[in-house]
Amino acid sequence: MFDMNLKKIDEYRFLIPQSFQQGMRIEGMIYANDELINAIQKDETLKQVANVATLPGLIGRSLAMPDAHQGYGFAIGGVAASDMESGIVSAGGVGFDINCGVRLLASELTVDQVKPKLDALLNQLFRDIPCGTGKSGVIDLSFEQLDSVLINGAYWAVENKYGTTNDLEHIEEQGRIKDADPTEVSNRAKQRGKDQLGTLGSGNHFVEVQYIEEVYDETVANVFGLRKNQIVVMIHSGSRGLGHQVCTDYLEVMQEAMPKYGIKVVDRQLACVPINSKEGQSYLKAMAASANFAFANRQMMSHWTRKAFERIFGTGNLKLVYDVAHNIAKKERHKVGKNLKDVLVHRKGATRAFPKKHPEIPQAYAEVGQPVIIPGSMGTCSYVLVGTEQAMNETFGSTCHGAGRAMSRHAAKKDISADQLIKQLKDKGIHIRGATKSGLTEEKPEAYKDVSLVVEVVHNAGIANKVAKMIPIGVIKG
Amino acid sequence: MKELFKILEHPADLGIEAYGNSMEDVFKNSAKGLIFIIAGNSKIDNNLTKKITISAMDRENMLVRWLNEILFLYDSEKFLMSDVEFKNISDTSLCANVAGEKYNKIKHQLKLDVKAVTYHNLIIEKERDIWKSRVYLDV
Repeated sequence: MFDMNLKKIDEYRFLIPQSFQQGMRIEGMIYANDELINAIQKDETLKQVANVATLPGLIGRSLAMPDAHQGYGFAIGGVAASDMESGIVSAGGVGFDINCGVRLLASELTVDQVKPKLDALLNQLFRDIPCGTGKSGVIDLSFEQLDSVLINGAYWAVENKYGTTNDLEHIEEQGRIKDADPTEVSNRAKQRGKDQLGTLGSGNHFVEVQYIEEVYDETVANVFGLRKNQIVVMIHSGSRGLGHQVCTDYLEVMQEAMPKYGIKVVDRQLACVPINSKEGQSYLKAMAASANFAFANRQMMSHWTRKAFERIFGTGNLKLVYDVAHNIAKKERHKVGKNLKDVLVHRKGATRAFPKKHPEIPQAYAEVGQPVIIPGSMGTCSYVLVGTEQAMNETFGSTCHGAGRAMSRHAAKKDISADQLIKQLKDKGIHIRGATKSGLTEEKPEAYKDVSLVVEVVHNAGIANKVAKMIPIGVIKG
Repeated sequence: MKELFKILEHPADLGIEAYGNSMEDVFKNSAKGLIFIIAGNSKIDNNLTKKITISAMDRENMLVRWLNEILFLYDSEKFLMSDVEFKNISDTSLCANVAGEKYNKIKHQLKLDVKAVTYHNLIIEKERDIWKSRVYLDV
């Protein structure tokens, strides 16, 4: 049963008309099939998509991807674009974990070569990559060094011998958003982040050793350097306490400034200011700095991953396929009506999915499109997709970002112990190293929606195409 | 009033519902709920005191800012709060001394990282003589 006010457009699109809720300035659109829309309706997702549609200066539609679920202000899986001249920026539209994202490293090894030494590899990764609740990194940066990280992002990491310059080409924004200004980041945020660079964190963050089980598009996979049975490593992490504090700080700044600009919001978590205001510009510079911290963070963890492979297999040659952000606001140019327009695209749990020939994707992928990396939940498959022209036409070049949570942490823990879960996964050929046992059960596969369903929807709706499917064999959990 | 706080669960959320006989109580108990989420039932001694001063736009804003201070002390200094003495508290200003100790990996067991305190479905209200607050966290 669908909400009576939802209008089913086709098998994969559900429209939220402006009549759905008072004050909606634009329509909403949910990408889902019948099964996923039922799941989505169980929480406040629809209301949150409609709430976003009440914000001033948005263009197109307030969007939600098939992995959408209830968030704070914005739904997780939400996309909203603002007119650069008259629109707003919302700190909540990016979220607390600024530039939470995923990267994929492709090894030269096959699954058969890695399996005999898998436990040794996982032990090495678990030793070398700081992870878990309250974990500090191997370096405690001075504020001056931290400022350099915030300005230079992954460049800082490469300059400090974490990876090579080749990696930089294969990161969204080349791993460095140029608008970053560390003076717009509070000392409190810096204090939270200065010993957390190069740490995985906890919750749903992970490092996963996977193999490619199936290739759907040989031509594109070949360009991405991916082939059947190849071992790849996926890293999922963000900007840690620094990004969390930046969002916290600017939620307050925006709330205080809103009356000045005559802005009222239906949910305080949607606090926003004009992009061109002093507060809006400050936020975007601080957000860019936080995003750069996250790029550097994932770059450092990639370096330790390569070192671990080198130590166990004698070769640490893992090529960075791509690194994508899924919590971010980006200045981009999109077709609006018949014209090209500069817009700020908020992606809150959504991934950029640019098509072939787009000027902002790496030269190596110019003929096929941008790799879109979609992590599944712990113990389930993950996907590599490729961006499409359809995404440019419909979703401001955006698509889904993962599976999306379906069960509370408490419910997840209730019917299985950590030891049972570890055994269950081991029986399926998946070996786990986790910082805490309770953290493991909270992330069990059944706690999430089926990532394959989510991917089918975006593929069939045409807002990203399937390239390859990966199966995990080893997981490091925070 | 039997309990000081309870933990609320939803697919993507974790929240704290706290109770008290006064605004001070409900602020104290919501902070205890936050520390419970971070460090479980770890025994926390009072060998360190921190002073917190906050000004806010209104009562809801004050509650979020208060809990964000407790979270900041943990995430930046690994300070775990166990008790609080309010010097003054109103909807727009608060001054308190919080007591606790630094995280000690032998003594304390950390459970979960909290990213932030949110305004999602936030309430703080007085019903008859009982104060109640509800706040959700991004974890």
